[in-house]
Amino acid sequence: MPDMSKMKKPDVKVVLLGDMNVGKTSLLHRYMERKFKDTVSTVGGAFFLKQWGPYNISIWDTAGREQFHGLGSMYCRGAAAVILTYDVTNWQSLAELEERFLSLTDTANHDCIYAIVGNKADLTDSKAHLSRDSDGQSENQTECEEGRTEPEVLSACPTPPASPASLSGLMLHKQVTREDAVALYGRILRYKGLEEKSSLPAEKMCFETSAKTGYNVDALFEALFDLVLPSILRKRHENQESPTVDLEECRGVSGKKARSSCC
Amino acid sequence: MSVKAFELVPAVERDLLMGDKARINIECIECCGKHLYVGTNDCFIHHFLLDEVTSSKGKLSYSAQKLLHKYLGLKKPVAELRAASALERLIVLCDGIVFLVDMVTLETVPSAAGGGAKIRGVTAFCINENPVNGDPFCVEMGVLSSKRRTVQIYMVYEDRVQLVKDVTTPEQPCAISLDGYFLCLALTTQYMILNYNTGASQDLFPYNSEERRPIVKRISREEFLLAAPGGLGMFANAEGVSQRAPVNWSESVIGAAVCFPYVVALDESFITIHSMLDQQLKQTLSFRDGHILQDFEGKVILASTKSVYVLVPLPLERQIQDLLASHRVEEALILTEGAQRNIPKDKFQILRKRILQQAGFIHFGQLQFLEAKEHFRKGQLDVRELISLYPLLLPASSSFTRCHPPLHEFADLNHLAQGDQEKVLRCKKFLITYLGEVRSTEVVNGCREDVDTALLKLYAEQDHDSLLDLLASDNACVLADSIPWLEKYHKYFALGLLYHYNGQDAAALQLWIRVVDGDLQDTTRSDLYEYIVDFLCSSSLDLIWKYADWALRKDPTIGVHVFTKRPVSKDQPELNPDDVISYLGKHSKALLLYMEHLVLERRIQKEKFHTHLAVLYLEKVLSLLSQTPIDKEQLTKARERLQALLRESNLYRVQFLLGKMENCEELLLERATLYGKLEEHDKALHILVHKLRDFPSAEAFCLWASSCRDSAYQQQLFHLLLGVYLDGNLPGTAAGSGDGDLEMAAVDLLNRHGEVFDAVRVLRMLPEGWSLQLLRPFLNRAVRASMHACRTSQIALGLAHSENLQLLHDRLKERKKPIFVSEKKGCHLCHNTFSEPGVVCLPGGVPVHTHCVAQRVRDSPTKRQLTNSSNHT
Ligand SMILES: Nc1nc2c(ncn2[C@@H]2O[C@H](COP(=O)(O)OP(=O)(O)O)[C@@H](O)[C@H]2O)c(=O)[nH]1
Ligand SMILES: [Mg+2]
Repeated sequence: MPDMSKMKKPDVKVVLLGDMNVGKTSLLHRYMERKFKDTVSTVGGAFFLKQWGPYNISIWDTAGREQFHGLGSMYCRGAAAVILTYDVTNWQSLAELEERFLSLTDTANHDCIYAIVGNKADLTDSKAHLSRDSDGQSENQTECEEGRTEPEVLSACPTPPASPASLSGLMLHKQVTREDAVALYGRILRYKGLEEKSSLPAEKMCFETSAKTGYNVDALFEALFDLVLPSILRKRHENQESPTVDLEECRGVSGKKARSSCC
Repeated sequence: MSVKAFELVPAVERDLLMGDKARINIECIECCGKHLYVGTNDCFIHHFLLDEVTSSKGKLSYSAQKLLHKYLGLKKPVAELRAASALERLIVLCDGIVFLVDMVTLETVPSAAGGGAKIRGVTAFCINENPVNGDPFCVEMGVLSSKRRTVQIYMVYEDRVQLVKDVTTPEQPCAISLDGYFLCLALTTQYMILNYNTGASQDLFPYNSEERRPIVKRISREEFLLAAPGGLGMFANAEGVSQRAPVNWSESVIGAAVCFPYVVALDESFITIHSMLDQQLKQTLSFRDGHILQDFEGKVILASTKSVYVLVPLPLERQIQDLLASHRVEEALILTEGAQRNIPKDKFQILRKRILQQAGFIHFGQLQFLEAKEHFRKGQLDVRELISLYPLLLPASSSFTRCHPPLHEFADLNHLAQGDQEKVLRCKKFLITYLGEVRSTEVVNGCREDVDTALLKLYAEQDHDSLLDLLASDNACVLADSIPWLEKYHKYFALGLLYHYNGQDAAALQLWIRVVDGDLQDTTRSDLYEYIVDFLCSSSLDLIWKYADWALRKDPTIGVHVFTKRPVSKDQPELNPDDVISYLGKHSKALLLYMEHLVLERRIQKEKFHTHLAVLYLEKVLSLLSQTPIDKEQLTKARERLQALLRESNLYRVQFLLGKMENCEELLLERATLYGKLEEHDKALHILVHKLRDFPSAEAFCLWASSCRDSAYQQQLFHLLLGVYLDGNLPGTAAGSGDGDLEMAAVDLLNRHGEVFDAVRVLRMLPEGWSLQLLRPFLNRAVRASMHACRTSQIALGLAHSENLQLLHDRLKERKKPIFVSEKKGCHLCHNTFSEPGVVCLPGGVPVHTHCVAQRVRDSPTKRQLTNSSNHT
């Protein structure tokens, strides 16, 4: 197929899913451009190519809007990793992951890995202000942060209690705890029919991030890239073993199945 | 954020098509080469010849010539037209019927005898642009029919159509595109991909085709562009995967096409142009009553209800230049990379380089040096383009002229910096690092002079440390151009290096000497004088003779290095020592150093030099002696040097020197040494013992004078000395006052060096009256030595004897062969057999009984000894 794009063919695909406004685009910007900038609502989808060692990873940013929902399964087709993103200050955004987005991942690779990411941690968690990733906050602190004094009390208490009335003036209410995310991860494994024991552990796959401060962002993407490497190698290996994979044949099998279940 | 990527050019105006008939509308178009076919709602096909006309100003326009129009006789609009040029047929859809029309005459093709040339009940059809059938005179066609949920695949021939496949679809299909075996379909509620060969299918995404008009557009092999919910243009390949990000159209898109790298779409009032490279909307053209947008062999044609237009892409190069002009470097570069497939490879490489260079200059102008450098590197910029921005840096001899059209908008650095000196400085610093990095790469092939000269000028101007490194290593700096520049910045030392590099050592020296002499100011080296001397060491002889005087006058000790430190190498002529010596006549200090160099360092074995040095030493001593008061310390040093030379050298003319110090009573020790050299030891010892009364020196003399001789010579010398001591009271010698001293000296000598003497001779010489006690150490040693000698010789004798025996034994062993003894063999003497292994061998290896031989020996008058006895079995 003639290459019509400016880039090389990606070796592997990573897809960001989640409700609109949870910060998918911001996360991707932060990771790729090391900046937190104003985003416009994503139309349809967009993707970036990331060079990871010798590999090209395409990272797809999808649109959370209902309108574009139908496209989700197409983006997920053949994905090696899916990042299910929610907003820690919005319980509904976590619920949507299960209700709307999980089913889109049916088209992903059978060995696809799933990460659950609670973004905007800076709003509820003081530790997320200290960018845990290399570069950071300084250049990108925005005006809203300036008025906010560093809440020292919090540093002693990494996970703020569910209803921190005394602190609510400074911090937003954290509606989704890490435990909620871990529980969702368990349910995803069940949905996929995967054994918990033989799958990647929830502690490793649940992240809390802040696109705004950069907190945990590199850690998230880099951890995922490292985990999808085997998938790349397998794909390359397959391609090497039979350089002319007969896609027709492969598809024929699954296609027939789809047909029979449909008619 | 807009680019002018396309221009809308009218192709067929309303007048030409329908004149003033208001109800007639365009329904479909087809373009095949220059042939344009237009189908109208009144069932006509119009055939035009479309010619491209380029005006003198380069402006493109079209002139349409109407060739024919034909009524198809169905009273219904012509819904679709497709050319099958190989068959010279137009495939027409009108009134739900597909049929064939001759491309030239526009006559309907009658059905062939064998089969029909018509298909009924058709809502839409498409041509396979990536046919699976190899027959060039056959066109593959996918057909949607109004009644059934099927897609039919036909082969279209010159005069007939043939159904080859009937594919059932889950829902009613309403738009179709075909690529190879892949059908891309818009169904009522979704898009799907269907392989009509295998029957495999792949759902793409939901789409309500009743609500919004679907678009299924094949854009390249196995890739399709689809209208998606929310007004998106989605890409999907045959595997159902999207490999490009979608573009954002309006909800009411009517048609779309790809004209790489752009996606062109038409809605009710606009043509929108998105880049596939970055998803961005690049251009919007207003277009009223838009109706049709289709691409034919890369040409995008649009139609309103009344007229036809061509969307002419502007050359990519021009678009890129427009982007660069508005400093949109990233976009320009993306577009350049994207243009790769539209432009022939070699032309693309040139374009790409140029764009990168321009991009580099834009970054440079914004003082973004890192980016600039990267782009210059990738674009393989001729560095002189950059250097030429800096006034006066390029050498006058440079043949460089800036490339045209220019790569940037700057006249020079001052123009760029607008008088901001800080900026100028930063640019200069950048150029220094940049040139430093590239000067050793192939980037500078062919312009090394220009680069190195520019670098030299910058270094000099900025007082940069690397100036000297540049000049001391391989470089291509242009001398003529560098001279005034280096002079301007008082870099005389550097200039000298450059002269030297250019083989003009004389000029270099002249310049440096002026600096040392204070005529010129350059503080680069505080040790410039030493540097010059060092430099002279390995210079040509001419220069040495020319500047040695200057160097010696400044400092003879260092200046003489010119002669003494000259490295020995094959390709340099050597200095003739005689020339140097005569040259140094006026520089006594340097001459001495030079003679020392010849004799002591280089150890040249020539009488002349040794004598000369000895005379110089002697003259020094004599001159010190003639001073009052005498500088003791200096004198001692001078004498030590003289004495050492006299002792150690064997080459100087002894008599000559002796003559020179004949009358000098102070130099007795030296004279003694000279006598020693003449082997007139008695004279020497006489001086030492009687004149100097220096007994340790006398003893030392004996040791020295015999040092390379055998022990007999040494013994003789010591006996001579002993004699001198003992004969102290002979008449004619000095007064007897110190006779006791002489005796003591004799005793000491004997006791200290007893081993040298012949004790017997000594005992005979000694006066009778001397006590045994006095000579005890000597005698002890003499007795012990004689004992020792006796025993040693005995041991030596014994050892020699045993060695002799051993050799004898070895010799016999070498000779002998094995001797066999057995019960069957008889003894030669008694002729009985042997019963025991022990036998005796006669000479010749004949075994006999021991007792027989004993008998024989007893009997033999000579009692000959048998030499060999062994035990062989
Ligand atoms: N405080 C905070 N705001 C964020 C963060 N990430 C995104 N946002 C804001 O949330 C809004 C939606 O972000 P966006 O990236 O467009 O979300 P998307 O719809 O998931 O792509 C924007 O106004 C962002 O500024 C974050 O980590 N912290
Ligand atoms: Mg977004």
